[in-house]
Amino acid sequence: MTADAVVIGAGHNGLVAGAYLARAGLRVVIVERRRAPGGCAATEELWPGYQVDTGAHSLVAIDSRVARDLRLADAGAEFLSPDPCIVSPQEGGGALILGHDAARTAGCIRRFSERDAARWPEFLAAMSRAARTLSALYATLPPKLAVPGRGEVGELLRLAVRLGRTGRRDAVELLRLIPMSVDELLGEWFGSDAVKGTLAATAIRGICQGPMAPGTAYMFLHQMVGADGVVGRRRQLRGGMGALGETLQRIAEAAGAEIRLGRSVKSVTVDDDGRATGIELASGKRIAARYVISGADPGQTLLGMVDSGELAPEFSRALTNIRYRGVCAKVHLALARAPRLRGVDGSGADAASPCGSGAAEEAVLAGAALTIAPSIEYVERAYDDAKYGRPSESPVIDAVLTTALDPGLAPEGRHVLSALVQYAPFSLADGQWNEAREEALGDAVVSALATYAPELPNLIVHRHVLGPAGLARRFALPEGNIYHGEMTLDQVFFGRPLAGWARYRTPVENLYLCSAGTHPGGGLDGRPGAAAAARILRDHKRGRRRNR
Amino acid sequence: MSKANQYDAIVVGGGHNGLINAAYLARAGLRVVVLERRHLVGGAAVTEEIFPGYKYSVASYVVSLLRPSIIRDLELVKHGLTILPLESTITPLPGGDYLGRWADHDQTRRELYRHSARDADAYEDFGTLMFQLARAVKPLLGVVPPNVASPGLRDLRTLLSLGKHGRSLSRQEVHALFKLMTMSAADFLDEWFECDPLKATMSASGIIGTFLGPRSPGTAYVLLHHYIGEIDGVFRAWGFAKGGNGMVSEAIASSARSRGAEIRTNAGVESVLAKNGRVQGVVLEGGDTLTAPTIVSGVDPKRTFLQLLDPGELPEDLTASIRRFRIRGSSGKVNLALGELPEFSCLPGRGAHHRGAFSISPSVNYLERAYDDAKYGGFSRKPYMDILIPSAIDPGMAPPGRHVMSIFVQYAPFDIEGGWDDAKRDAFGDAVVDTLSEYVPNLRDAILHRQVLTPLDMQEEMGLTEGNIFHGELSLQQLFFFRPAPAWSDYRTPIRGFYQCGSGTHPGGGVCGAPGRLAAREILKDLYK
Repeated sequence: MTADAVVIGAGHNGLVAGAYLARAGLRVVIVERRRAPGGCAATEELWPGYQVDTGAHSLVAIDSRVARDLRLADAGAEFLSPDPCIVSPQEGGGALILGHDAARTAGCIRRFSERDAARWPEFLAAMSRAARTLSALYATLPPKLAVPGRGEVGELLRLAVRLGRTGRRDAVELLRLIPMSVDELLGEWFGSDAVKGTLAATAIRGICQGPMAPGTAYMFLHQMVGADGVVGRRRQLRGGMGALGETLQRIAEAAGAEIRLGRSVKSVTVDDDGRATGIELASGKRIAARYVISGADPGQTLLGMVDSGELAPEFSRALTNIRYRGVCAKVHLALARAPRLRGVDGSGADAASPCGSGAAEEAVLAGAALTIAPSIEYVERAYDDAKYGRPSESPVIDAVLTTALDPGLAPEGRHVLSALVQYAPFSLADGQWNEAREEALGDAVVSALATYAPELPNLIVHRHVLGPAGLARRFALPEGNIYHGEMTLDQVFFGRPLAGWARYRTPVENLYLCSAGTHPGGGLDGRPGAAAAARILRDHKRGRRRNR
Repeated sequence: MSKANQYDAIVVGGGHNGLINAAYLARAGLRVVVLERRHLVGGAAVTEEIFPGYKYSVASYVVSLLRPSIIRDLELVKHGLTILPLESTITPLPGGDYLGRWADHDQTRRELYRHSARDADAYEDFGTLMFQLARAVKPLLGVVPPNVASPGLRDLRTLLSLGKHGRSLSRQEVHALFKLMTMSAADFLDEWFECDPLKATMSASGIIGTFLGPRSPGTAYVLLHHYIGEIDGVFRAWGFAKGGNGMVSEAIASSARSRGAEIRTNAGVESVLAKNGRVQGVVLEGGDTLTAPTIVSGVDPKRTFLQLLDPGELPEDLTASIRRFRIRGSSGKVNLALGELPEFSCLPGRGAHHRGAFSISPSVNYLERAYDDAKYGGFSRKPYMDILIPSAIDPGMAPPGRHVMSIFVQYAPFDIEGGWDDAKRDAFGDAVVDTLSEYVPNLRDAILHRQVLTPLDMQEEMGLTEGNIFHGELSLQQLFFFRPAPAWSDYRTPIRGFYQCGSGTHPGGGVCGAPGRLAAREILKDLYK
């Protein structure tokens, strides 16, 4: 069996890369270990009738260029985007509700701080500007960060021009914001714990750092790319997140790609000249291909699937030094009915106010994420536990009633609650993750949620917990890291996955990387897959010209 | 107005940068006066006999990065500067053992072998790489940061020359620099070493003066400082100024005076006068007015732009930048007069180690826990400490047979919950003595006098806003062309004739002197262009 290109893994980036290559006329085979496409965009029937998003339960946005190029809208994917999108209940009562309308959100913030409410529109404008500049960077290959030769100087100049076009002041401002802590960033604007804690929770997702750590402001901006100026923008797909993989599969297949599910890749085959020639499956079967593109994480690809003799020792050492440190867990609940949120003061006035328990409850029942992050200190203390190798006693939670917008995911009247929990460190100070620890984590999450939804424990029909080790196994995530590598400053841009190798190529000729472990990193947006495909096609064209 | 109060240049603040600036201006023939609020010059680099017979380097206590060119240009050795080398850095460990690094390379290697053979080998390679990187970074210390917000010809020239310098570096060096600028000290060291106390002690140099822990990104690059000092080749990396760190200031002051500069103490500046965007003079606290066409501020950016000047004279984006400039103090200082030599239980008796430094940093987690306390508004109950026994290095610091001990302590947040008061200062001093007594059993009984400086004390006594020892945190977004504000990192200000020369400008804090010298260079350029 031979192909022009074989893609390892049918996660969303592998599918996007495969679809682009197939559209360009290459014969593409995509091989996937699991029985369903989509990778972390997975929907599984954990209990009869309950369709559960066991990986991601939200995405911000598929990159607009990818969506346009692949005609995602025509392929049958239906995105549901709740407004309001975040409900953050507060310890002292009430909830901060963030939605698409800035004025309405400001009205809710007013309950916590008059000054913060006044600054909200200006803050959104500033963050949108920064996100726009950042997205310009995301649309380019990062410079090589090597001794600049003639070619690189040209690229650096192009990058400078691109940045210059978005405004030099904005570029300098982005440069100032990126290394900041999200605590510092928010401190420049806001005073109230409610606003700062809620926003900070979006900036620490997937990294083993607290909101006081430098570089977390960058993560906040990363979440703002593609969010159209809406903090906490979330989308889910009708039928569950797994529909993303199915849609991308249809698109890739329509373009001529072949997708084979349920097949594990054992190794990348390499010829005597150090060139990738295809892959070998666990079954022993081989698929020959001119290009091999891996959607598995960089470490797993290069250390696990390539013979170590093909790599320079320094390169291998750099690979082993990539920091993953997964800190996320998932808790899934099947509920007998939708939970009520705790009344704040029981008075009618509260129920009527824009941030009262009534409005909060209504928002959650309309698909907003219930965020447990009432202050920066709460989030930072949750991190402190992880720092010393313990799961957070009081975790940061992003919980979504996925059935709110899509009742078809559960039997009539029943609901599914999916909770992304942080911090649950992959490496524990004492011992390993096991079922008992996962159940303890489940208990901690239910009790944290019960603070704001007291009847929740009594509504649980089924419970399922995936700790970081469980996530690692289920989705082949390195140390359970949801982004295929921590998105800290040294591991983004030029440094993703490794300094000098941020352009999808590897030391093995014709072996490319396309996962979230490459620039511009994680989030279900398809950017790395599209950028990797562009790089391969450019090399392909160049190679053909050379052969002519 | 009398001619006596008219000068070519006035320097506000007699800290080491102000003095260096004045010395260079005087050397160029300007009639210069330095105005110092306190009764002595030196700012944070002062030696004082707080307790009769015992000399304390009250705040700053080592010389690390003082630029060799400054030592040469200002003939500081002739003016009394003698730097004595430090013998070692000892990290006492809880079990009674210790980790030592010595001036003698082979001794360090043997000692590291005792803890980890792997680390002993890695230490060599690490040192080699860091030397290379220090060489790569060093030119930045002598460069006026370019204005990247609206670059002019001069800025493009600077960028071009930096680019040219960049091209001389190897791929490996560029990659390592990128990691060094962005990683946490603990993560960076994790890639090299396994011995926890070694990683902790090395990463401790990355957290000094910051409000960050060793696992916070952005703390790795300070590791370089140590090595930059070393390649200067004039002195060893960290040295002790004979007579205490005040002698550094005295030598600079003496050099400045010999070139004709006038130095007035007890002359606090109330405000700087500006008219039509041009500087006029200064008003002293007593009400006297001094005039000069050039005025240089050696105080921190908050004081320079928000207190000395009427902020109304300045563009709004600059005052906004300065308002959000982070300057959180995080450290304190404890000075002790001791009746006898402190004995470390890990190294009993008197030895060469007494002429070195002691670092209370037994593990990375220890430092992180110390940081945790500060994050939530308390001082560290078990703090990180960097300790010298100056009298063991320079017997002149205390009466015969007696000793002084200098203890740099972190963390002590300026914004401590409830604010600093006498009781809290005492409790902070007790935490230091209690923790140190675990390693130095005879300490408590030997104490004759104790001076405790909180960040608030440093603000009140030395004029360091929020007690920040670097005039502003050395975080990435406050370095180079961001220090102290984009477009105003070239020592100039929007007020013509008004300049900045303190540690709040590039390349920042430590007794390095580069800001004072670079500012003088820019001033002279403006005057003689």
